[in-house]
Amino acid sequence: MSEIIPTLAIFWLLMVVSFILMKRGLSIFNDVAKGMVMFMLEKALGPAIDFVQGKPGSASRTWIMHGMIWAMLASILTFAGLWLSHDSTALHSLGAWGYSPDSHELMYAGRFAALFGAVGMMVIGAGLHVVPTLSGTNLASESNATLVSGLWTLSVLILVIGAHAKEILGVDIIVLGTALQILAMTAIILNQLLTISNATRPIAIPGWLIIFGLIGNPLAVVSVFLSGAYGTGVGQWLVYHMIGGTFFFCGIAGVSLYASSMGSGNPLWSRTLVGFTLFGALISINPMGSTDPSMAVDMLGLEASEISSSTQDHISGSFLMALAMIPVIAYSSNLLVTLRGTDAFVENADSPGIAEMNMGAWMLIPIAIGSLFVQTDALGGAGELSGISQTLDLLSLWAVLMPLSLGTALYVFPQVSGRKVLSVSRSRAAFWLMSGGAVAGLTFTIMADLNDMALIESLAENPSSITEELRILGSVTFYGTVLGSIFHCTNLISGQFRGEKLSEEVESSTSLSPHTYELTSSTSVRRILASGATLDTEVIPVSQSEEAGSATEL
Amino acid sequence: MSDQGSSQITEFIQGEKEPQSSSVVLALGVVASLSFLLLYGILYPGREMPVVSELLPMFEGVFDSGIWFFLLGAMLGIFAIIGTILTEATSE
Repeated sequence: MSEIIPTLAIFWLLMVVSFILMKRGLSIFNDVAKGMVMFMLEKALGPAIDFVQGKPGSASRTWIMHGMIWAMLASILTFAGLWLSHDSTALHSLGAWGYSPDSHELMYAGRFAALFGAVGMMVIGAGLHVVPTLSGTNLASESNATLVSGLWTLSVLILVIGAHAKEILGVDIIVLGTALQILAMTAIILNQLLTISNATRPIAIPGWLIIFGLIGNPLAVVSVFLSGAYGTGVGQWLVYHMIGGTFFFCGIAGVSLYASSMGSGNPLWSRTLVGFTLFGALISINPMGSTDPSMAVDMLGLEASEISSSTQDHISGSFLMALAMIPVIAYSSNLLVTLRGTDAFVENADSPGIAEMNMGAWMLIPIAIGSLFVQTDALGGAGELSGISQTLDLLSLWAVLMPLSLGTALYVFPQVSGRKVLSVSRSRAAFWLMSGGAVAGLTFTIMADLNDMALIESLAENPSSITEELRILGSVTFYGTVLGSIFHCTNLISGQFRGEKLSEEVESSTSLSPHTYELTSSTSVRRILASGATLDTEVIPVSQSEEAGSATEL
Repeated sequence: MSDQGSSQITEFIQGEKEPQSSSVVLALGVVASLSFLLLYGILYPGREMPVVSELLPMFEGVFDSGIWFFLLGAMLGIFAIIGTILTEATSE
């Protein structure tokens, strides 16, 4: 029996209904609903709401700061997990304190911390700035959004603990963490919906990407439950990828397209491609992520089932995953060309965040194509490529999702806090450490995975020493990600106190501004300013002659 | 006069600027310490280092994997972040 198409049909229907309701409202119940939601967001919380500031931008700042801290913790957990994959007793001394993690537990905890802690919090935090800005209004409740950042962080902490011990005192820890996260997510969705209901101008498509990313998450879960596919392996695999395609892909696409345009100073390259990104992400199945949907299964408290897809499911699933290449390529190309404007190079590469977005967009297409092959193989039941699935999942997390969300956060954070990061050079060093560590470290690990797969296929009895050496090299290289995330955190925190104020920003990103600019042919003011000229630079037209030249006399 | 004087004293005591030569002094201190440790080994060959030789056996079997070298670096980073928050918040 087919599971994929009926579930997606319900999902698409729910999305369309949600869009109509958002555009048309609730008719005569509009004012009542708005008043009730506002009451629930602020007054109903009682004295708790007075603990936080309601200053504009405070919510976005808090979410991004939490996300940065989680990025650092996630990198440490993942690094330790990679290390334990070749040295399983490395942390045995911690057993004296009752903590004896294995590689799988640390990697699982690292995935929770990275996905929901770092990427999730930075995307939601950036969205809390982007959606009100695009709507031409203020966030409905800054206080509530600031307050629920604590609830979300608590939920991620519980999920990280649950990755080590799923059940404590008879309580399913991961389900408890998910319940708290649903509560926080509901508050954020209501806050954003209330914000767009007060919009003073039509919202640009990146804003809709963020909104659909937020509401797509709960609607994906509801669709799977309504279709009854939640008990099957294919249904569980589907909900995992639907959440990946909506909350993570749409959310990141929305905030990063905004940040790429505002950060580079170039208008968004193509409105049609943004539309394709939104439409394509909702109708297709995003292939990125693990072949094992155990994260979604654990979070929803379901019984795990084997993936045994029917022929119809295999065909429709493979087709819809291949279709996901359209929004992936549309988004990646749109972001890359927007960063460059009409020139061949990124003009303000010194701006923190631009380099991260550039790298994430470059890495997206090859990793998405690789994931497509691995997922199609897994859905068909062959499982020949399952050996590289986990590392490919890590690569998509650390080389695509993390740079894109981090780059956006680095652009948005100064906008909401009023101060830039302390040092541009430290930010650049952190970028090289993080990106180099993630790409090189995980590439070495994939090479080890491929070696293992070849050995299994050839029925070799003795493990190869090359595999272990590659795993050692991979984990040590990944340590650059830990260092990079620490540098980013200290840079951001110091910038809050001593960073250059945005209002004091000078026109040029370099301190060496030319006194004169020789104008040899017609050019735009933008190009002149991009060359480092300031408002005081003297533009000198240089006369040119059309006469034929002659040999230089010596 | 008194207000101006007190602000000047605060600036004077706190040291607003960081001369480049201060790092040279620090490096010199580290090099001197290492040199004296080496000298100890030359002057008293075969003798264990006082205090250090008594402390190190306590950690045998604890930090017996290379991962601890990296985790100590990560811990330093975490303390650096906490230190940055505290010092930046109190410096003003």
